[in-house]
Amino acid sequence: MAYISRRGLIQGAGALGAAGLAGPAFAQSAMNWKKFAGQKIEVTLVKSPRADIIEKGLPEFKALTGLEVGFEQIPEQQARQKQVIELTSGKPSFDVIHESFHVQKRLFEKSGWVADLSGLMADASITGPETVESDFSSAGLMFSKNQQGKLRALPQSVDYWIVYYNKELFDKKGVKYPDTFEEMIAAAEKLTDPKEGVYGFVARGLKNANLPVFTSFLLGFGVDPVDAKGNLMTDTPEAIEAGKIYQRLLSKHAPPGAIGFNWSECQSAFMQGKVAMWLDGIGFAPPLEDPNKSRIVGKVGYGLMPKGPKTRASATFGDGLSIPSASTKKEAAWLFAQWAVSKEQGRALITTGSGVPFRHSVLNDPSIRTQLKMPAAWLDTVAESAKISRLGLPVIIPVTEFRDTIGIGLTNTLSGGDVAAELKKASDAFRPVLEKSEKG
Amino acid sequence: MTQAATPATPGRIGLSSRDYWPFVAPALIVVGSVIVFPWVFTIYMAMHEWKAGGAQSFVGLGNFARLASDARFLESIVHTLLYTGLAVTAPVVLGVFSAVIFHERFPLRGLLRGLFIMPMMATPVAIALVWVMMFHPQLGVLNYLLSFVGLGPLTWVFNPATVIPSLVLVETWQWTPLVMLIVLGGLASLPTEPYESALIDGASRWQMFRHITWPMILPFVMVAVIIRTIDALKSFDIIFAITQGGPGTASETINIYLYNTAFAYYNMGYGSAIAVVFFIIVVALSLVMLWLRQRSKWNADAGAAA
Amino acid sequence: MNLAAALRRLPLLFAVLMIVSPAILFFVWMLSLSLKYEIDNGAYPPILIPERVAWENYAKVFQSAAFLTFFRNSLIVTGAATAAALLVGVPAGYGIARMKATRAAIVVLIARMTPGLSYLIPLFLLFQWLGLMGTLWPQIITHLVITVPIVIWVMISYFESTPMELEEAAVIDGANRWQVFRHVALPIARPGIVVALILASIFSWNNFVFGVVLAGRETRTLPVAVYNMLSFEQVSWGPLSAAALIVTLPVLLLTILAQRQIVAGLTAGAVKGG
Repeated sequence: MAYISRRGLIQGAGALGAAGLAGPAFAQSAMNWKKFAGQKIEVTLVKSPRADIIEKGLPEFKALTGLEVGFEQIPEQQARQKQVIELTSGKPSFDVIHESFHVQKRLFEKSGWVADLSGLMADASITGPETVESDFSSAGLMFSKNQQGKLRALPQSVDYWIVYYNKELFDKKGVKYPDTFEEMIAAAEKLTDPKEGVYGFVARGLKNANLPVFTSFLLGFGVDPVDAKGNLMTDTPEAIEAGKIYQRLLSKHAPPGAIGFNWSECQSAFMQGKVAMWLDGIGFAPPLEDPNKSRIVGKVGYGLMPKGPKTRASATFGDGLSIPSASTKKEAAWLFAQWAVSKEQGRALITTGSGVPFRHSVLNDPSIRTQLKMPAAWLDTVAESAKISRLGLPVIIPVTEFRDTIGIGLTNTLSGGDVAAELKKASDAFRPVLEKSEKG
Repeated sequence: MTQAATPATPGRIGLSSRDYWPFVAPALIVVGSVIVFPWVFTIYMAMHEWKAGGAQSFVGLGNFARLASDARFLESIVHTLLYTGLAVTAPVVLGVFSAVIFHERFPLRGLLRGLFIMPMMATPVAIALVWVMMFHPQLGVLNYLLSFVGLGPLTWVFNPATVIPSLVLVETWQWTPLVMLIVLGGLASLPTEPYESALIDGASRWQMFRHITWPMILPFVMVAVIIRTIDALKSFDIIFAITQGGPGTASETINIYLYNTAFAYYNMGYGSAIAVVFFIIVVALSLVMLWLRQRSKWNADAGAAA
Repeated sequence: MNLAAALRRLPLLFAVLMIVSPAILFFVWMLSLSLKYEIDNGAYPPILIPERVAWENYAKVFQSAAFLTFFRNSLIVTGAATAAALLVGVPAGYGIARMKATRAAIVVLIARMTPGLSYLIPLFLLFQWLGLMGTLWPQIITHLVITVPIVIWVMISYFESTPMELEEAAVIDGANRWQVFRHVALPIARPGIVVALILASIFSWNNFVFGVVLAGRETRTLPVAVYNMLSFEQVSWGPLSAAALIVTLPVLLLTILAQRQIVAGLTAGAVKGG
């Protein structure tokens, strides 16, 4: 875990939005995009706006390379399950896959399922001059490299957690956007008006999905869920305080039933104008500004995560593309992965609000502001969140088990369980699993 | 009539039991060939510590020993039994009732019967997703409908206390038609004479149902109960798509826990051990059901003879 | 029919209304969802008939080039698995009923009792070893686990309630057991076969778990494809409901058509019973 440091993440975030010169050298390229024309590769991605952007660009890619692409998007849970089963079998049916760094990084590294891309990147006949490590933010590189410094994925998109807020509801009650956790709780309390069906706060209560909500608060106490030495920190005094904030906001100031909400229920409630604040990933923004879906177009504020007792931190997650070790068409697959994280693709990603690329050459390009289809405040919050970015989930193998076990404890606090007791119970249950998995 | 209701006795027509094996063998071979390998493999995996991407090591019965002290597993057994109990009772009661209704004559019967069985035709996953939206505590149509009859808003699947009954509501809505179809088949094969003589004797509707219909459709009801029991025990799509076992673990059945262990935690060995135990539970309950079915047939014979 | 008779039937009609309305209301609501934009789908109080109809929800589904492929896959898998199940299951049901072979029945039931999830990994490895992945065979074969037991169980019940006189008469006339089955038992059991056919088709058509792992991009069946329409960044109830209705429609139509046959079959059964 230690090899992903907080400092690296901040440095990697770059100065988004500031005018600056991107650095790729435009050397004479020996690259031949058409080298594998006529071959066919299979691409299996997780269903997401990021994958939609890639899908839209496919004809362009086919024209560029002459490659045939079998492309599909599968919902996250199914995709992860399919990936593991097929990769275990040693004969996966895909040549390019989506990797959620915050869930699969350690598993993919340890199992040896995905190929080392360093050699491919060094091969000038299949790598363009702009695809250089230095154009990727260090956060992206940390996500995609293993402990030995081998590149095992190309980072595609980063996700920061922010607070969406309903400016109209805030104005009506004369409440200002909170700057600290205490102010956030006070604001949530003030804005809650069950008679009107209006609630101050909403976030995921559903087990597993709810963990980033909890870590968003925990990080404000300056504590990571698993510390640099690999100790589980989810029953520390700070964790209990964070848990109490979580319990209070979701049981006192959130709509009834929030205990079972995932992001989608939160989003529906927020889009209907019934909720004043919603804490979730920045990638959920586009529907909020779509009049066919939202009643609060133009009224959405994009707030930076309030400051905790120790620090201000935005829980951060990342996604990338990997190539299975067992693929027989790694070079053609490399062409695809390279194109999918290219500048043009990155620009399409950020200007539509679908995601935030890891590339300096995109983030530093002033033209993305003029092409932006989202409110400027959204982009500002992206830039500000980048500066306080901190990993939202520990980089361990049993991430899902971690999210489930601790998440169940958190959910139990919403139906009246004692925070300290629930977190202790959950942490005690997870600790042996963690020790066992990190030992090997 | 008595003859019609009496089960066939092979000896009477000069064919011994053995002569019927060729009828049964192809089905046994087909089913056996699909299920034997998975079972051998599952038992093999259950004896190993095996996480995806990691090495395997033989642990013998270690996984099973761990199950005995796994609070989450034991809790999931309780959820499963509760869920199954409700998800068998409700559809069977309503299904028998519906079958009796549909056995009557009324206008548009065919069309209405077709509409009635639509829920079980529809794709469970998609149906479940529509239910999720109907259950929504603030925006859902169910609470809106409840408000008309003056009932306060419920939190349905978003509340540990009501999640299982809410899921059973969906399951009942979906599978009552199956019970209805099976029982209706039974009703249609009933003879008419007993009713005629009962009418002459001045029996009430309920008396006729209780003493004539019920004993004769009992074998069909038992088939429905067995099928429902097995399906409810294994119920996956609906729980998975609506709550994934939540809130917390309030609706986590064995099947959902099995899924989480094998496909979310990638712990194939332990997941296989759960599968084995789960299978034993299903078989045990099914045997009880079969025993009841045998008994019900005996009752039916007695009822028909009486 | 005089007034008194009509009044007597009121409770019956009320009961019919009560049991049919949940199904009707649900599908009406689903239809409504499929024709609304998201903004109306999330409205409270709920909107049944929207001002703006979102036909595009349907257009989106049909525009998908793969839709026809998925539809064909579903037809092939369900058709093949059901046909094969009838072929082996009807005789098996007959044999078991005549033998009163409860043990054989249990062996068959084991297939149905096994949690579907536990098939997935072993079967995936097996089919890959056999080189069948990427074809529809893995799904057809695993669907037999669903269809065969259903057919057998429905048929056992039917044959158990079939009168023996005709079969006995046929045996006396010198028919062997296959001839008895083919010419005497089978025709009588036709309504049972229809019910078995319908049930097996539904279970196979709707199966979701097997397809998730055993189907690839080219071999996916409709339920899996519909689930895959779930979008990540937003709740798309409209398009989802539209897709779900499209998937369900052929089966529902089949139900209405087969409904007549079921009714006819059941009537025949009643006559036979008398």
